[in-house]
Amino acid sequence: MTRYLIRRLISVLPTLIGVTFVIFMFQRLIPGDPAVAMLGEHATQENVERIREQFGLNRPAFLDREALKQGDWAGFFDSQYFRYLGRLIRLDLGDSIHRRIPVAETLALRFPATVELALLSMLIAVLVGVPVGIASAARRNTWLDSVSMIGSLIGVSMPIFWLGLMEIMLFAVFLQWLPSGSRLSTGIEIKTITNLLLVDSLLTGNFEGFVDALKHLAMPTIALATIPMAIIARMTRSSMLDVLQEDYIRTAHAKGVLERIVLFRHALKNAFLPVITIIGLQTGTLMAGAVLTETIFSWPGIGKWIYDAILGRDYPIVQGGTLLIAIIFVAFNLLVDLSYAYLDPRIHYD
Amino acid sequence: MAEITPNEVGITDFALREHRSLWYDAWRRLISSNTARLGMFIVALFVLSSVYAHYFWPYEPKSDLDYSLKLKPPILAPTEEIESAHYFGTDKLGRDIFRRVIHGGWNSLRVGFVAVGISLSIGGLLGLLAGFFESTPLSSREHIFLHGLIGAVLSLLSAWIANQYFQAVLFAGLGAVAAIYNRFLAGKPARFLSFGLAGAIFSGAPALLVSPYIALVCAILGALVGVILSQPLGGQFLSSIIMRAMDIILSFPGYLLAIAIVAFLGPGLEKGMIAIGVVGIPVYARLVRSVVLSVMQKEYILAAASVGEGHGRILSRHVVPNILSPIIVQTTMGLANAILSAAALGFLGLGAIPPEPEWGAMLGDSYRYLASGAWWAVVFPGLAIMLSVLGFNLLGDGLRDALDPKLRII
Repeated sequence: MTRYLIRRLISVLPTLIGVTFVIFMFQRLIPGDPAVAMLGEHATQENVERIREQFGLNRPAFLDREALKQGDWAGFFDSQYFRYLGRLIRLDLGDSIHRRIPVAETLALRFPATVELALLSMLIAVLVGVPVGIASAARRNTWLDSVSMIGSLIGVSMPIFWLGLMEIMLFAVFLQWLPSGSRLSTGIEIKTITNLLLVDSLLTGNFEGFVDALKHLAMPTIALATIPMAIIARMTRSSMLDVLQEDYIRTAHAKGVLERIVLFRHALKNAFLPVITIIGLQTGTLMAGAVLTETIFSWPGIGKWIYDAILGRDYPIVQGGTLLIAIIFVAFNLLVDLSYAYLDPRIHYD
Repeated sequence: MAEITPNEVGITDFALREHRSLWYDAWRRLISSNTARLGMFIVALFVLSSVYAHYFWPYEPKSDLDYSLKLKPPILAPTEEIESAHYFGTDKLGRDIFRRVIHGGWNSLRVGFVAVGISLSIGGLLGLLAGFFESTPLSSREHIFLHGLIGAVLSLLSAWIANQYFQAVLFAGLGAVAAIYNRFLAGKPARFLSFGLAGAIFSGAPALLVSPYIALVCAILGALVGVILSQPLGGQFLSSIIMRAMDIILSFPGYLLAIAIVAFLGPGLEKGMIAIGVVGIPVYARLVRSVVLSVMQKEYILAAASVGEGHGRILSRHVVPNILSPIIVQTTMGLANAILSAAALGFLGLGAIPPEPEWGAMLGDSYRYLASGAWWAVVFPGLAIMLSVLGFNLLGDGLRDALDPKLRII
């Protein structure tokens, strides 16, 4: 098991290097000179040169063969890509072009808002999706099954940004039940500890703040939860149906075990493995979905920040944000694999 | 004694039964399912209406502008004030939303189809190669080709450093030699040494002309390539290279990669198609590889190989026809996903360049007017996205049940 763990951790390295490579290549996709892209059309030649020097844009992309010709080994590796990797190791994601502040700092500041949104959405998706899946499997081919499966198919087909807009239209504009935009109403303050507002307000015993934060979370959470909820429901149903056809379930029924116990103790335990995979993969995907949801709800997380950066052509932010989301995604994939090794006793990994 | 015919006792003789092909059976199962019929209807509605609009219903987005009709709610019949009916209302520039939704379908669906075409053709081919050669020993000619190719590709680094691209040809030759004389000193350290030495000389000697430092680096790289080429690199190697590359693309969540690519390339429908298509490649590569692997275990493949059929013939006659059904299902569902991603790109302002109509872009244009009550400008384009995606998903579900009844969960 330990050996498997180490091997799996090492196998992530090439993937991460590949990810940094792809994100580094983004810069080369920009039409024209990146230095000009940073400074704008009207930059003076001097300033362009200075920026090129500062960001190493006058260095070769990967390796400097001219330096090697002179026997300059350090110069050989002194390239844009290796400089980029060196900066990454020091957690330096560059500065925002427009606001001149470090990308990493702002990412760290805005990240909790996205985490809060994503985790709460996943919680709701699991709490609704799994029971719905179990119920449709247990009562298959009844109206309950049909309704929930058609519902989940609609959920899978839903453009989440549109769903968010429909929620705003219904609950914020017409009914005026829920606030839309930002994390808190003006005038309400929560002392910052973790920057997860729900946690912070509970820790400081700020009940009013908790309710207000929850109200602001309600619509974006539901929008973001819809697709994973539908996928989890479908997965749980099909996995349960698979397991319910097994011989040991028939044996349990024949012995007169209560239906409830057969479903939850005998079937669910074995049916849950593929569901966990889906939950893990979807949690990573949620972070990406946040770009759209946060934009709709003006949620001050990293997704909205990436969107604003795309509009403002602030490339270091797009690179840094994409890298962060990709690393989280890789981490969740790894967790899923490791949980398999732990949860499924049939699989031996050494 | 009276003669009894099968008909009289109600037994259908197998030989007398009407002949039905596999595909005809699948078609009958498909049209007998309500959900699949609904899916087919929705898909047909969207495809036909957008094709019709594109060819027979002229629309000039650039000159479509009328501020006097700005943000009017749906009007079902012309009135004195407004001379024409606007079933879906008008948007911020007074454009008829119904017309733009129908015309937008052409763009949105086109992005979906082209993107899936890109993913399917590249991903399918890679998956086919990976799966096929992983489970079949290479023929000697394929071995020579593969080794030559690997030699040429791996030597590109040292060739680039020395700025001597002819080195790639030398290494292609070295690879071919290694494949032809694959028994030469097989399994002995002397084989590594001789090929490593050959590689070092092939790369280092010409590089000496440039600079001694470059020659040193090239010799080391060349020796490495030589050692790799001395190994019996088979289909497993090819497959693992292809699949590792796919893993890297897959390590980005869904359309985030597409969004990032287009954010750097700049907006445009064509760029969106390419970005969504590239992101979809690994899905098809993985699917096709796994299906090919299972087909290759079948007896009919063994039979075909043992009567001496070549690899090309086995692939085209036996493998491809037997992997079609999961690919058809995945392609249908993939279309749904591609349309969703295209709409997301459009919504973020990275899809169609305005004033070109496209569903996602229409939503992105109008959602700021929601607070002032203009619900129609947001509801209808979004409904079009959702319904078309739902249609493809329903059809995909139905196709899966129809094409592979074994997979069906009752």
